[in-house]
Amino acid sequence: MRQASVAADADASAEHGSGSFTQLGGRFISRGRLALRSAYWLASLLAPQPPDRPTPVTASVTRELDVLGFGAIRLVAASALLVGLITIFQAAYQLAPYGAEVVSTRALAWFVAREIGPIVVAILVVARSAASIAGEFASMAANGEIDALRVMGLDPVKYLVVPKLAALIIALPTLTAIAILLAVIGGWLGMSVVLGYNTGLYLEQLHESLAIRDVGVGLAKSILFASIIGIVAADEGLRVNRRVSAIGGAATRSVVYCLLGVLGADTAVNAFVYYIPGLT
Amino acid sequence: MTGTGQLVPNAPDTAALRVDDVTGPRGAPLLRNVALSVPRGGSHVVLGPMHSGKSTLVRLVLGLDRAVSGTVTIDGMSFDAAYANEDRLRLARRRVGVVFDSSALVSRLTLLENVMLPLAEHSTVDAKRARETAAALLNDVGVTRDLDRTPDELTRLDRRRAALARALVLEPAALLIDEPGNGLDPHAASELDETLRALHERYGCGILICSQEVRYAFHWPAAVSVLANGRIVEQGSLDELLNSRHEAVRRFVDRRGAA
Repeated sequence: MRQASVAADADASAEHGSGSFTQLGGRFISRGRLALRSAYWLASLLAPQPPDRPTPVTASVTRELDVLGFGAIRLVAASALLVGLITIFQAAYQLAPYGAEVVSTRALAWFVAREIGPIVVAILVVARSAASIAGEFASMAANGEIDALRVMGLDPVKYLVVPKLAALIIALPTLTAIAILLAVIGGWLGMSVVLGYNTGLYLEQLHESLAIRDVGVGLAKSILFASIIGIVAADEGLRVNRRVSAIGGAATRSVVYCLLGVLGADTAVNAFVYYIPGLT
Repeated sequence: MTGTGQLVPNAPDTAALRVDDVTGPRGAPLLRNVALSVPRGGSHVVLGPMHSGKSTLVRLVLGLDRAVSGTVTIDGMSFDAAYANEDRLRLARRRVGVVFDSSALVSRLTLLENVMLPLAEHSTVDAKRARETAAALLNDVGVTRDLDRTPDELTRLDRRRAALARALVLEPAALLIDEPGNGLDPHAASELDETLRALHERYGCGILICSQEVRYAFHWPAAVSVLANGRIVEQGSLDELLNSRHEAVRRFVDRRGAA
């Protein structure tokens, strides 16, 4: 409820022309509060529950996993395979003048696991689901569903936001692992079928360059991206506050802010991880 | 608030719901000095044309919008409609059920989950018992099959019935219904009306019906208030309503005559 009122305050200030900085500040505060409450409810969801208690939240997580996770597998798999091919072609083309085409496998392994895997999956999930999450919440707010939950003393964050957030936090690392695997397969197709290198050499280069830690960094990033997508998209949807005409705008803004959030976070993580001694 | 900081109801009140001198909402007050009460086990019908402030009244009573001034008392628990204490508001809301004009069932959840939600949050019943209670209540309101459907798969009448079941699941002292016949054909509206009356008898909660359809004043043995331009222009029994000379009231009564 506090989150909704913050959103209403921010909208009110925008209407009174108090400037984009106020709006931006309102969004940060609103998302910070939403993130804290979501973290609280996520933790309570993970705490042991009596086996015979009703579990509508858990059932919702399963449903959201189906929509946000399983539903995205084909898109992610096809895209990752193509990204693997593209990366190998570009790297091999750039390295060919130095007679180092074979090194492109190393570039692929390192870059796909740490960077391309998580970022491509995050962008695909934003494109596929952010507008849908914001639109759904916005339409629920306009339809009075959020108010109905509040009147029943039920926190909309617990029953609506947390299932989607939990599903994203499970789905994104899983999709990222699939994307890394398929990008590597795409790279192998490029190296062996198109460029004519043998599979043994490809696997040897891959083995030397791809460390488990690289995959770990990619998966950790994907959890961060999942949290950003879930919080930002949900916040944009919940800000609509009973205005049907604002549903489309909320969906559009959610895609914009999610993309900026994911890319901004990735930049910050890169700066932090690679320029702080001892972490590289 | 007591000395220990614990919230307790006010002195015993004969009303399930009382609205005292409420003006609001803040910012653009649509309602001015509205006062009404719903006796325990009784009913009160608020009539008014579109945009007269009926839904606003429901939102102010539930604390969803802040009032400029006024007090609301639900089952003996009062709160200041302008500066409601969150804990007090939460306790008061627990004693009221509401059916919004859009039904407002959670679209992501099944019918059964929608009705089970308040039980899951506010009671200690186990999953099996919660499921049985929700299914029995849905059966009582006339939704008897495919309880695992989502609201999108239901007719408007069944959505309204399921919303009614959800509102009653915690056996509230007061039930608020905003535009019960909204979007229903006359036959469906009449079916819902029958269901509502049967449940009213069984549960004994006070009912506040906000509607633009004058037939509710005739079909319910209730006090009637007529809202026009944000004020209650007539309040009393059906006879008083029929004898009123106020222009807004006459429009409602004549509309029934025309029907």
